[in-house]
Amino acid sequence: MNRLLAAFLVAAAVLSAANEVRLPRYTREVLSNGIVLDVIPRAEVPLTSIRVVLRGGSEADPPELGGLSAVTADALRRGTAKRSADQFSNELDSLGASYAQQVSPQSTVVNIELLSKDLEKGLDLMLDSLLNATFPAAEIQKLLAQRIDGSKALKDNGGAAVAEYYRTFYFGANHPYGRPVDEISQAKITRDAIVAAHKKMYVGRNMIVLVAGDVNANTAATVRKALAGIAAGSPWQWQKAALPVSAGPRMAIIDKADASETQFRIGLPGIDRTNPDRVPLWLVNTLFGGRFTSVLNEALRVNSGLSYGANSQVEQNHLQGRISISSFTATQNTVKAVNLALEVLKGIAEKGITAEQLASAKAYVKGTYPADRLETANQLAEIVGDIELFDLNRGEVDDLFPRIDSVTVEKANEMIRKYLRPQNLTFVLLGNASKFPPGLEALGVKAPVKVAITEPGIRVTAE
Amino acid sequence: MDRGTRVFARVTTSSACKRTSMRQNAKCYLNPMRTALALTACLLLGVTWAQPAEPASFNLENGMKVIVEEDHDIPNVAMYFFYKVGSRNERPGITGISHFFEHMMFNGAKKFGPKAFDNEMEKAGGRNNAYTSRDMTVYQDWFPSTALRLMFEMEADRIRDLSFDPKIIESERGVVASERQTRTDNSNFGLLYEQLNAAAYTAHSYGWPVVGWASDIQAWSLDDLKAHFRMGYAPNNCTMVVVGDVTLDAVRKLAKEFIEPIPSQQPPAPVRTVEPAQRGERRVTIVKAAQVPQVMLSYHIGTAADADDVALDVLSTVLTNGRSSRLYSRLVDKEQLALNIGANAQPGIDPGQFLFFLSPRAGVDPAVAEKALLEEIEKLRTTDISADELRKAKNLQLTQLFQQRTTISGRANLLGQYEIYKGDFRKLYKAQDEIEGVSAADVRRAAQKYFDSKNRTVATLIPEKAPVIKETASK
Repeated sequence: MNRLLAAFLVAAAVLSAANEVRLPRYTREVLSNGIVLDVIPRAEVPLTSIRVVLRGGSEADPPELGGLSAVTADALRRGTAKRSADQFSNELDSLGASYAQQVSPQSTVVNIELLSKDLEKGLDLMLDSLLNATFPAAEIQKLLAQRIDGSKALKDNGGAAVAEYYRTFYFGANHPYGRPVDEISQAKITRDAIVAAHKKMYVGRNMIVLVAGDVNANTAATVRKALAGIAAGSPWQWQKAALPVSAGPRMAIIDKADASETQFRIGLPGIDRTNPDRVPLWLVNTLFGGRFTSVLNEALRVNSGLSYGANSQVEQNHLQGRISISSFTATQNTVKAVNLALEVLKGIAEKGITAEQLASAKAYVKGTYPADRLETANQLAEIVGDIELFDLNRGEVDDLFPRIDSVTVEKANEMIRKYLRPQNLTFVLLGNASKFPPGLEALGVKAPVKVAITEPGIRVTAE
Repeated sequence: MDRGTRVFARVTTSSACKRTSMRQNAKCYLNPMRTALALTACLLLGVTWAQPAEPASFNLENGMKVIVEEDHDIPNVAMYFFYKVGSRNERPGITGISHFFEHMMFNGAKKFGPKAFDNEMEKAGGRNNAYTSRDMTVYQDWFPSTALRLMFEMEADRIRDLSFDPKIIESERGVVASERQTRTDNSNFGLLYEQLNAAAYTAHSYGWPVVGWASDIQAWSLDDLKAHFRMGYAPNNCTMVVVGDVTLDAVRKLAKEFIEPIPSQQPPAPVRTVEPAQRGERRVTIVKAAQVPQVMLSYHIGTAADADDVALDVLSTVLTNGRSSRLYSRLVDKEQLALNIGANAQPGIDPGQFLFFLSPRAGVDPAVAEKALLEEIEKLRTTDISADELRKAKNLQLTQLFQQRTTISGRANLLGQYEIYKGDFRKLYKAQDEIEGVSAADVRRAAQKYFDSKNRTVATLIPEKAPVIKETASK
């Protein structure tokens, strides 16, 4: 009995110690050319991440040139004023360094990870690619041809292809988040468009630089010096767009005649990154489709064996995004699985959640957060980069656990009523359409859009 | 929050997972041993760092080995169980049962019934996954250190008293069938890889897929499952690795309390079949609807404990790691023959394979891409790589290992892989010497030894002219 009690006390002490998370102390400064520079210590391994975040991302692409920001980022290292593409790659690889670029709806991110002792060499490579890229015509031609082939190859992967069809169908081509990035749009991209995009976006007042890892007292000075020559330019003016108003449920069916499974997505309107509902909605989504024991996964996988998995995700971008249900099932179970996902949505909308469920979601989110977000230098750079990009503050991390604790059952159920509404849904199904069993009509979609995956591009808007 | 940032593990090779998921921490380690090379290798790069406490180990009376590494950086723990049983221990008719069994381990035992393992774990702030390979079945628990006792209790319960409910077996059979469908039958890569292996191995169990043939998935019986449990899940056939916010003493106490009373058993029978030497090139072809072709090559190599193992890793780095690597530079960049290209060594407990895979560009004859690939392979057999190239390959390998080292889960995986494949987790700390010891002559010798055309299997996926499907869509 004594031993048990002692064990309990120890557990309680650890629990309270772990019941908060904090970002490490990091330095923040705004340079005279407008660059925000954050230096974040994380000395676990001798690696340093240099992360450059440029505001804008794919929302800056002209409507008919989907993919321009991604192509521009991809071209940065393919020839600079100082190095040919080959020289750049060879220097980078010789350091054992990695260089990655990624475009989101609101940012272009370029990340170099390398040994801390090579920081200055890494900075030189990073800045050379960001600022001195010459976009040699031959390299651009090669890159565009590769990406166009890549867009075609994407269609061999149903799970990857459905994501693109779903995005463009949900937002529509007039929304900054709905532009197709496919062989058609990329064939229209010219070197001139790339050069113009680069000149406009890769400027100091549009730039956030994060250095995280095994940094020391001199790191900030070294980086500051390296960044000094960058022109200030103008910051990106964020786009404003409302979600398209859906008149009723709508559906796109993408026919892939060789598929034996159906990939499906169901979309509902969600939130943007700074929405004050984001923490309570996170907890609600954890229970809905955000973890293994969520009601969606339990219904489609654990109880019925219809699928290897089902989940829901809440997008958080600069503009309002989607709440998306995702799953897949054998072709003959298509209708059964889609209906089951809908039943789960209706079930949670009608019944809400209990205090016990909410407590479990809170523990799960808090328990998994440190390893998901705060363990590595890269993760820290990512989260501080988000804080800068979305004009948040360190309370995003430091106050997270109190914010989670303060969510009541009433608040959580209010979130369900507000967001998990089983009306006006957007359905996208990708599979062997001629073999779908009857019954999809019962979903009440008047005229589903039908597209064969063999048709060029990712074009689903029927009008 | 989940913002869709997690990536599907691209399961292309010899493992299958409990969980899919765009959201769970689903890491199907493609080839864990490949990434498990040098750990403390920073010395040779002229840097040092404060290492967490050296791992310690102890043995329980029932034969289970426990490895513990304390690291109090975040208040979390990674607890992994490595059972030395995988698809290599199966036989025709029950292929995939190791992986199916992995799924069943989450479906209820005596004290914690159906769903309880996941429910209790998530309620306590934890998350889990598991993966099965040809050689082993690995259970991965990630949780806040406050849940340590609960995890020992639940793990002991399922190791000792797993229960089999026929209804749950049927439902889980559907889950695994869906897993196979999504990763193999609806993936050109997965489909071709399966056929490549079936051709490369004529006798040894590495020739069948870890997930199992589709017909076997439909046929496993309750008796098959029970027999498998008795065979593979002996504590003496398992290594436990605990990394994170724990103390050695606390782990020892809990292991003695919960795990040690579980009786030891007869481990799986030795795998007796030895793959006969290949005496000529084999070719397989798949013809199906596809946008782009695929080409895969396999050469037989040795085991993970083999002395050539490290040289083969250097070799694959020289060929495909980074844009200045030989194959990327020539096939993807200069000659634009391939959309992407990859290579890796996959040794195992038994002799494994060295794999190459590429997608030819639109309009490129797969034979042309294959020819360029073979020329580059041949160069490695005739000419030493340069000193610069060797240094570059070593640096690339080392920094990638540091990246793995940054997480408690990465370290738990490395320690277990070393223990199983190299026979001692401490060999991890000699990896730096091993990498540094590889010479250009070693690389050439390995290429000469294995990259012989008679030792090669080639698999090609050819796109079939797609039928006109516009009409069927408007049904």
